Amino acid sequence: MTEATTNAGPPRLEVASQSKLIWWAFRKHKLAMAGLIVVAILYVIAAMPGFFAINDPSAQNARTPFHPPEAIHLWSDDGFVGPHFVPSKLKRDPDTLAAIYVPEPEKAVRLVLFGHGYSYRLFGLIETDRHLFASSDPKQPFFPFGTDRLGRCVWSRIMQGAQTSLSIGLVGVALSLIIGVILGGISGYFGGRIDFAIQRVVEFVLALPTIPIWLALAAALPQDWPATLQYMMITIILSLTGWAHLARVVRGRFLSLRTEEFVSAARLDGCSEGRIIFRHMLPSFMSHIIASITLAIPAMILAETSLSFLGLGLQPPTISWGVLLREAQNVRSIATAPWLFAPGGAVVLAVMALNLLGDGLRDAADPYNK
Amino acid sequence: MGTDGKSVRGRMSRRAFLGTTTGFAGLALTSGASFAAAKEAPELAAMVAKGDLPPLAERIGENPMVVTPADRIGSYGGMWRRGLRGSSDHNGILRCVGNNGLTRWDMDFTKVEPNVAAGWDVSDDARTFVFHLRKGMKWSDGQPFTADDVVFSIEDCVKNPELYSSVPSILTSGGKPATVTKIDDETVQFQFEEPYALFLEQLATPLGQHPTLFCKHYASQFLPKYNDKLDDMVKAEGLSSWADLFRAKNGDIEIPSRWANPEKPVLDPWVVEEPYVGGATRVIVKRNPYFWQIDTEGNQLPYLDGINFGISQDVESLMLDVISGKIDLQERHINSLANKPTLAANTEKGDYHLMELVPSSANVCSIYLNMCHKDPKMRAIFEQKDFRVAMSLAMDREEIIDLIYLGQSEPYQTGPRPSHPWYFEKLSRQFTERDLDKANALLDGIGLDKKDGSGMRLRPDGEKLFFSVDVIPTLYPDLVDVLELVKSHWAEIGVDIKVNSIERALYYSRGDANDHDAQVWPGPGGLDPMFDPRDYFAAHTQGSRYAVPWAQWYVSNGTQGEEPPESQKQRMKLYDQAKATVDLEERGRLMHQLFELTADAFETVGVCLGVNTFGVCRNNFLNTPKREPDSWTYPNPAPALPQQFFFES
Amino acid sequence: MLRFIFKRVLWMIPALFAVSFLAFVLIQLPPGDFVTNYVATLAASNEIIDQNAADALRERFGLGEPMLLQYGKWIWGILVHGDFGTSFEWQQPVGDLVWERMALTLTLTLSTLVATWAIALPIGIFSAVRKYTIGDYIVTSISFFGLAIPSFLLALVLMYIAVVIFGQDVSGLFSDEYQNAPWTWAKVADLIHHLWIPVIILAVSGTASLIRVMRANLLDELNKPYVTTARAKGLSEFRLLMKYPVRIALNPFISTIAWLLPNLVSGSIVVAVVLNLPTAAPLLLQSLLAQDMYLAGAFVLLICTLTLIGSLVSDILLAIADPRIRLE
Repeated sequence: MTEATTNAGPPRLEVASQSKLIWWAFRKHKLAMAGLIVVAILYVIAAMPGFFAINDPSAQNARTPFHPPEAIHLWSDDGFVGPHFVPSKLKRDPDTLAAIYVPEPEKAVRLVLFGHGYSYRLFGLIETDRHLFASSDPKQPFFPFGTDRLGRCVWSRIMQGAQTSLSIGLVGVALSLIIGVILGGISGYFGGRIDFAIQRVVEFVLALPTIPIWLALAAALPQDWPATLQYMMITIILSLTGWAHLARVVRGRFLSLRTEEFVSAARLDGCSEGRIIFRHMLPSFMSHIIASITLAIPAMILAETSLSFLGLGLQPPTISWGVLLREAQNVRSIATAPWLFAPGGAVVLAVMALNLLGDGLRDAADPYNK
Repeated sequence: MGTDGKSVRGRMSRRAFLGTTTGFAGLALTSGASFAAAKEAPELAAMVAKGDLPPLAERIGENPMVVTPADRIGSYGGMWRRGLRGSSDHNGILRCVGNNGLTRWDMDFTKVEPNVAAGWDVSDDARTFVFHLRKGMKWSDGQPFTADDVVFSIEDCVKNPELYSSVPSILTSGGKPATVTKIDDETVQFQFEEPYALFLEQLATPLGQHPTLFCKHYASQFLPKYNDKLDDMVKAEGLSSWADLFRAKNGDIEIPSRWANPEKPVLDPWVVEEPYVGGATRVIVKRNPYFWQIDTEGNQLPYLDGINFGISQDVESLMLDVISGKIDLQERHINSLANKPTLAANTEKGDYHLMELVPSSANVCSIYLNMCHKDPKMRAIFEQKDFRVAMSLAMDREEIIDLIYLGQSEPYQTGPRPSHPWYFEKLSRQFTERDLDKANALLDGIGLDKKDGSGMRLRPDGEKLFFSVDVIPTLYPDLVDVLELVKSHWAEIGVDIKVNSIERALYYSRGDANDHDAQVWPGPGGLDPMFDPRDYFAAHTQGSRYAVPWAQWYVSNGTQGEEPPESQKQRMKLYDQAKATVDLEERGRLMHQLFELTADAFETVGVCLGVNTFGVCRNNFLNTPKREPDSWTYPNPAPALPQQFFFES
Repeated sequence: MLRFIFKRVLWMIPALFAVSFLAFVLIQLPPGDFVTNYVATLAASNEIIDQNAADALRERFGLGEPMLLQYGKWIWGILVHGDFGTSFEWQQPVGDLVWERMALTLTLTLSTLVATWAIALPIGIFSAVRKYTIGDYIVTSISFFGLAIPSFLLALVLMYIAVVIFGQDVSGLFSDEYQNAPWTWAKVADLIHHLWIPVIILAVSGTASLIRVMRANLLDELNKPYVTTARAKGLSEFRLLMKYPVRIALNPFISTIAWLLPNLVSGSIVVAVVLNLPTAAPLLLQSLLAQDMYLAGAFVLLICTLTLIGSLVSDILLAIADPRIRLE
């Protein structure tokens, strides 16, 4: 905290709130700051994917299957002309049926910042057709990350998938956190019969295999719900079993903490049980909880991709990163269309950024941190 | 291929052939001549020399089947490497090893030829079938195969209610099972209640193999009738009933345990060495030393030592095996059109070539609008032919073909494929052109002329016209893509649908309970219209998804389901007649009448003709087919006779 | 202590009943049954089962009976005869099927565990002690990358590279010639040759999260006053680290043993499917997807039992590792 101290001066440090202290400490951690920025950008994208998309993510295009990524050029043969790209035309190999694209440099198309494209609803409300950037010729779509087998724009699909993948896990994690900390805390703090009872419940929940639950729920949920809502429900139900892990960890910490002097001191001072748990004990292992959460959100994102892989998660035509990766998960993509793995890059980026962010938060929240 | 003297006899037999003596004499002569030169695999010859195995002539009997190799006489040795999936892929073995019924298909999938039966006589009324077996033919353990085995299989096993609560429909006619009697050791008779001309063809399909499936001297020990101490055996194996034990030891046509017991005698070219069980990572079958077929130079078949089926959990590892040349011949699991560019690009690396597979299906995607919908309002709409015609006219089939089927198909409804003698232009091509004006006019004309704010049509009761189409993404990912396109096409005429991707069991239970609005499935019956007519009339309770209750009515002889309209009833009658008709031309005439009615009713909406797919075959693997039908009733590659495949040394 | 263990073991019995019943219900909850799934699987290859045969199957498996009766029969068989039933699909006793694959599963899981801990603990300690150094940043980035990459993707890409570029055989755990051969040194060598790819892939993600947890826990401890005191008393840095903070930082690890045991069976399903490993996980997945009741039920029961045992073991270990925790 030395840096913060010198910057702000001693008087401010003394009156600074806990959250301010954490922020000062957090700023020092460069990787964590980078993580924060990336997470912020990703969630902005998740909030308005349509704006960042270039082409309609669900629109198939018979003229552009397996189109390779196109580069943005600034200079043409005539010198600087501003951002543009070179469209190409589809030819099909008669024997192998592979798609071959022949560039047509004479037809270069300009890219327009805040240009018009397909129309969508911003935040689900405002109808607009403005995009971050768009092709100036609607007949010549621009594919920065190429297209999939149906000629759909991979970039735009990643943007759309961000919304599903990033938002969906949050709910589950939040729920399991609340239940886990409360029950784990009570169990570890009081011990005895209550501990015994809660531990049996935890064991029961932990012993439930998740995959049959998934299968069962995926099938039992009403069919007319939108796929996203179904997944959200499954996430919530999974989090109802996921809290058990956290509860066990929290309990372990409580068991070892409750004999510490500061807890005894608080008890002798006549603090209520709630105050002792939430005011004195919980903050002392806050860092561990934060580490667990930051691992849990990306774990949810990865779980989504794995479940899609097993065919149990979201199903096309819903777009999520897991669905996109499932579609790319084959030898054909590696051999002929490696750009289809771009959603994997998005997953790695998001998971890394969230982890770095949480890591920095953990360090910053540590009261003993120097 | 396979044109020894007897096949001629087989063809003649179709018309109630009688007077077999000359045929037999002639055969015995040719067979006798070939024995002199008969040769066998080196390791078998070594065993004979050591006295562990009887000489070849004793093993193959007096009347072995003579197979003409596809290209040339082969040489012995080598294991065929192939892939299986981890679960429920027993038919992957059946298709290579185990389709040895009394009859078999010719290579063109148009008529049957002799197989286990060297010939047959059919009575004029198509109710009595007499099969002539091969003298001296042996099971894989060296015991003789006789008429007793066939009688045992049907009378003692298949007709045993504790093993089969009902007799498989292929062995029944007019609701009664066949009666099988032994005439002499080499002659066996099947007697049916009602005329059943299709029986000979049915015997060539996988489901028609019961007569040659169970071996009396082995399987009888698992029947209470033949064994008093059966209860002790059941207990010793830890099973709960003798029927369980029977199935575990003898299997059935289509269950994994058929390939789980190496001790069970079979008539197949190869016998199981490493079984297909729950924990298996591969299945190995090895040469049957008593196999009853020889090539035209008298060499005993099979040429190959065996088949090594590697088990993959994921299709992608199978793809990698193909690319790296570790698979010798495979079409199953890898033949999705989307894989073709990748596999075509690696032919040199893996040293293989592609073979062409002609699907038996008529259509890649039949759309079944539920004409017996539980909701009367939806039913009233789906029932109208004009509605279905409008839906068909609104589709942009060219776009679907270009985008999803890589330009490899043509607009199609349903009906026998263009290469089939029963091809019917009107049934297959009507309403396949795109005509949005006409489609709109048709919809306006049936009271769907009101629209909501966003231009979508309203039902006569004011509700939005909306229905969901069920599809199984894990089974048919391409159909999800097709439906996405169809959704956009139909939106252009103001019809809104939901592409309902669901899990396969749910798909089935929704269909079985008639809870669906609409479902899609690849439309069958392109090459095998007699075996899978579900798109031509409501024949199949799980397949004719545009009218499941009508199919129930048909299958239950009118006791269940719902009485169908007149056109359906006529078709049901026509099909029953065709099934009983021996004469192929007469049968074709009846089916043509049926197709006429189907075309007029226009119940299913098709997208495009079933797409030719492909298989891979290593370049040194010979006598293999270049082009073959891809079907279940023609369980490829078995009808191409894998026993005469061989590796060029 | 003994009394505690005894009491816990006694409690397992009702818990097992409850879990097994719930599992039995859950497996059957999806629409359809084994026969529906069986028909659907065959249909995928356009293969048709005889209509009569499908009904006969359903009757034979007793699928028409009420669920409570099916459960009762199943549990009775297990308790009285030790009979877990017969797999619908394989017509084999379920017990044999499950145990057949356990040995290799155990080998793979333990190898992965050892690899994971051997990598993760030293790096985690290093990363905590040398916080905010270049070394820490590099280790942090790498471990997060490992955590972030979906394992099925990594598995497929590695497999593709190994097969297409290096011409290696990587799927499964044995080369063809050793698959059903008796155990010899050559077979062991072959196993090790195949084992490294799945171990690496499985360890990559496991290592990353362990490093993070280890680092986080250790940082909690390192700044505590008792460490400062110990350091002031002149204890060598290494001994100081090992004697208290590391031991206490391991505490949450031990809590995780509870779900380590069931992971032996159900963990790494995705990687096992992609890499085609002959472990229990793919069989479990198949049986669930096919609604092969008794096979899936036996697996679920096994997982539940292992969880309960694991939970007991972790409580005991927790008491040993951290003397501050009293059991009663």
